[in-house]
Amino acid sequence: MAKDSLLLMRINVKALLLFSVFVVATCGLVYELVAGTLASYLLGDSVTQFSTIIGVYLFSMGIGSYLSKFFNRNLIAWFIQIEVLVAVVGGLSSSILFLLFNQVASFRIVLYMLVSLTGILVGLEIPLIMRILEDRFEFKDLVSKVFTFDYIGALLASVVFPLLLVPYLGLLRTSFFFGLMNAGVALWLCFFFSKEISWTRYLKTTCMLAIALLVAGFILSDRIMSFAESMAYADKIVYSVQSPYQRVVLTKNEHELRLFLNGNLQFSSADEYRYHEALVHPGLNAVPNPRQVLVLGGGDGLAVREILRYPGVEKVTLVDLDPEVTKIFKSHASLVALNQESLLSEKVEVINADAFQWLRENRKQFDFVVIDFPDPSNYSIGKLYSNVFYRLLENTLTPEGKVVIQATSPFVAPKSYWCVVNTLQSCGFSTLPYHAHVPSFGDWGFVLAQRKTNWQLNPDYPKELKFVDAASFAQMAVFPKDMPRVETEVNKLNNQVLVHYFEEEWAQFVN
Amino acid sequence: MPKQSGRRDFLRKSMAALGGLAVSGGGLAACANKAQAQQMQGQLLGPSFKAGHLLRKGITVEPTEVEEQEVVIVGGGASGLAAARWLKKHSAKKILLLELESETGGNAAAGKNGHTAYPWGAHYLPLPNNSFTELLEFLQETNVITGFDGEGLPNYNEYYLCFDPEERLYIHNYWQEGLVPHWGVPEADQQQIARFQQLMEELKQAQGKDGKFAFDIPLGHSSADVQYRDLDKLTMLEWLQQQELTSEYLHWYVDYCCRDDFGSSIAHTSAWAGIHYFAARKARAANSESHRVLTWPEGNNWLVQRLRESCADSIRTNAMVYRVGEQEGKVVIDYMDLRTQQYKRLLAKQCVMATPQFVNQRLLSALPALLDSRNLRKFNYAPWLVANLTLKDVPRSKGFGLSWDNVIYGSKSLGYVYANHQQVALFPEKKTITFYHALADEAPAAARGKAYGSSYDTWKEFVLQELEKAHPSLREQVEQLDVWVWGHGMIRPTPGFIWGQDREMANMPYADKVYFAHTDLSGISVFEEAFYQGVTAARQLLSSKLA
Ligand SMILES: Cc1cc2nc3c(=O)[nH]c(=O)nc-3n(C[C@H](O)[C@H](O)[C@H](O)COP(=O)(O)OP(=O)(O)OC[C@H]3O[C@@H](n4cnc5c(N)ncnc54)[C@H](O)[C@@H]3O)c2cc1C
Repeated sequence: MAKDSLLLMRINVKALLLFSVFVVATCGLVYELVAGTLASYLLGDSVTQFSTIIGVYLFSMGIGSYLSKFFNRNLIAWFIQIEVLVAVVGGLSSSILFLLFNQVASFRIVLYMLVSLTGILVGLEIPLIMRILEDRFEFKDLVSKVFTFDYIGALLASVVFPLLLVPYLGLLRTSFFFGLMNAGVALWLCFFFSKEISWTRYLKTTCMLAIALLVAGFILSDRIMSFAESMAYADKIVYSVQSPYQRVVLTKNEHELRLFLNGNLQFSSADEYRYHEALVHPGLNAVPNPRQVLVLGGGDGLAVREILRYPGVEKVTLVDLDPEVTKIFKSHASLVALNQESLLSEKVEVINADAFQWLRENRKQFDFVVIDFPDPSNYSIGKLYSNVFYRLLENTLTPEGKVVIQATSPFVAPKSYWCVVNTLQSCGFSTLPYHAHVPSFGDWGFVLAQRKTNWQLNPDYPKELKFVDAASFAQMAVFPKDMPRVETEVNKLNNQVLVHYFEEEWAQFVN
Repeated sequence: MPKQSGRRDFLRKSMAALGGLAVSGGGLAACANKAQAQQMQGQLLGPSFKAGHLLRKGITVEPTEVEEQEVVIVGGGASGLAAARWLKKHSAKKILLLELESETGGNAAAGKNGHTAYPWGAHYLPLPNNSFTELLEFLQETNVITGFDGEGLPNYNEYYLCFDPEERLYIHNYWQEGLVPHWGVPEADQQQIARFQQLMEELKQAQGKDGKFAFDIPLGHSSADVQYRDLDKLTMLEWLQQQELTSEYLHWYVDYCCRDDFGSSIAHTSAWAGIHYFAARKARAANSESHRVLTWPEGNNWLVQRLRESCADSIRTNAMVYRVGEQEGKVVIDYMDLRTQQYKRLLAKQCVMATPQFVNQRLLSALPALLDSRNLRKFNYAPWLVANLTLKDVPRSKGFGLSWDNVIYGSKSLGYVYANHQQVALFPEKKTITFYHALADEAPAAARGKAYGSSYDTWKEFVLQELEKAHPSLREQVEQLDVWVWGHGMIRPTPGFIWGQDREMANMPYADKVYFAHTDLSGISVFEEAFYQGVTAARQLLSSKLA
């Protein structure tokens, strides 16, 4: 009887220790893959990231193996202790990386430190376990068994990682999950060997603490993720969504709401009225009896809000690419309050379409057109500022019609701004450039264009406006000495000079 | 709305990318590849293999159904269509064009998926020389030229001028703007490249003793001065060596250009032809730089469709001509209707052969006197491989962004063209790229054997591996990958061919009855030459005694 149970115990010891080899190997590789994937996302260039991370990881395992010779007593206890450390370091690694990405200048150092720490710990474990099992197996059996389980674990990790873990758990949960596996094995070993090892109480407690920490992390993964995102923004995020085209984030503090598209500020509720009044009124106010108005871009409905101040306007057609943007501006309470339900008005038709294609096919004419596109920061958007695009406006405008275009900052990016003006002129439009101060953006530029040559503005602006009136517009049309008109080329589809100007000028400003 | 660029900008953008993290896997390990690759679909395509086989075997059937025609044009590529258009425009002749495939267009074939059209062959037209009035007129007819400025320079339609950014080169693990290597290229090599470019600029303006440009397009307008024509006796490689232009980077670049335009390497291309590529085009436009190109999502298929519209009522497709002979003063054209498998005979007063000479070699066997007078076996063709890939996205890599033409330095393939480039939509749902490869490294017959002998899977793997040199994670993005093999893609201007007798003889009309028009008769394969060949044959036909 006693002999039997001893036998049973011996088999279990071996099986258990080999099982832990398997877990250690699987988890180790998973942490490494998590680090590689994360680094590829955050830093780009996946080939470099993966190969340097694998390199550092393997090398660190070598260091760990070397260090193992300094452990001479209490091997099982040390093994458990290291296992707990692996659980905590590996399990938290992806959260740490996410959270620190924004905060630490030398993110790579943290990354490689975590990778090598995990590597060293995992590298320590295999030699230790071999020594624990030393007198339980014949040497050739020992080597064959331990390495077999080690490699099977690695295979398992590399297969489930891309096929199951990343798609279903995401990176944060994956790390926590495997941290739990490490900690679970450690705890099991504690109970199993509680008689043979010293410091059992201490080890059990640390195992429990590690498990509690990792479970909490697993459950709170989504929160950690959005917290990490929110650290990139100054204020609290009240809404965020990923559309097929961009990431839409809305933040809020006591004074203002801010909308970001792909991280770029679109407006702040504190001063957006300045921007939108300046965009819409000088032009629209000057069109006699405007009925049909077209807005390209501007899915926030704020320009539409200004347009609806003219009771004669029968219909506003809004063409914006992104249904996610127009959706939240029809439904989110504080945004609907901000645009005064403009997108819900019966007069407004919202079309989610590509503006260039839509305009090419459009046969309707409009008395006023508002063009409120993102800045020409890439070749795709650059097309929307080309002479070919502006020529499409010719048939879109009624004879008395006018168009206004947001045209980036004439102070920061004079060439970009005047390039828009010159491109419009090259298409036979008569232009009226002006600019206004919008605190969130700085000195911002607009261009009015029409087919007739003489400009007749209407000095009677709607009374309820907070910013624009005849006197303030007179100032807007003046370009002071430090903002003179500059010579530029015409922006064409086959030269895209505007994108080049814009990149140059804003790069200088940011640096 | 405006953008505010700030310190946190980059960080926010990175976070934005992380938002969708749990779903998409940009840089995942290679393990995912296998599973992904299985979702890839595709097939092997090409000009009618069966017809080629039948022609080689030789058909001897004497058709019983006979029809009279005034002018028959055999072949509906750019040259045949250009001849048809010219005859329609400048005469009242009744014409009939016979085309073997189910569509006209020949080497300017194109395909289509749910998102865009894409080329299977010819894909662009360089701005043509202003003296090439016949072509300019056609371009004006089709609104490619929208008008002329005060100086008489053409204004090109800006939807068709290649959008910016036009070209990039992947070199030293980086995409540089433009195809001439400069990124990480040593100073000494850059100097050689500059000297080469300077020489080409000079040759562009060079004129022979006869007052003609040394290099012109149409090629037949070039000077007869031996000083220049003798360059046809050298290979491009020999010429570069004579000029002490030895830079490896320069050689790669010139070799790339020769492969791209002629399907043959610098070691096999005539120096005259090689220089012609750089020095023949001197277009001036009101609204574009001189070296720019015209292109469409479907490539030059757009142009051949416009040509086709000018003669659409006179075209018979699926008509494989298998013999052209002579009977009682008439040209006899025997063809097989591939749809009904019926054999038919046409008796025509005159005929234009707009088929390549390797085909004529078979068709004209009933005219032994004609065949004996020409050496059509001297016409050599490079096989080509074209693949179209539909991608979820083109993977990003370091350097300059996705352009129209994207070439990989050091590769023997010719990179890829982005088919969606000329669309105005900002975010195409799927992206289609067209990969080009000329099988230039083996003798044409051996290369052709290999091209036809390889399976779809072999070619697919080849294409993916070539593209992976610049886009390691490409496979994950591919949804569809189709491959097209052109057994006789392009005529090879080997030394001595362009200004030799064989080409001259092959251009000669036969007895005021049979005229010849195909780009291979110019010794180089380009739309301009095909067009001019068609125009010339039509003109000759109209001025013959019979007319
Ligand atoms: C891969 C590739 C890329 C190219 N890229 C460019 C480019 O970008 N720009 C450029 O200018 N040029 C390019 N070219 C060159 C192109 O070949 C010419 O521009 C032009 O399209 C040739 O027209 P063609 O009429 O002379 O010849 P083809 O296009 O060869 O026309 C011959 C026609 O005859 C038909 N035919 C053959 N046999 C018979 C028969 N027995 N009976 C009836 N009909 C028959 C064929 O089906 C075909 O339609 C490219 C060629 C290839 C292969």
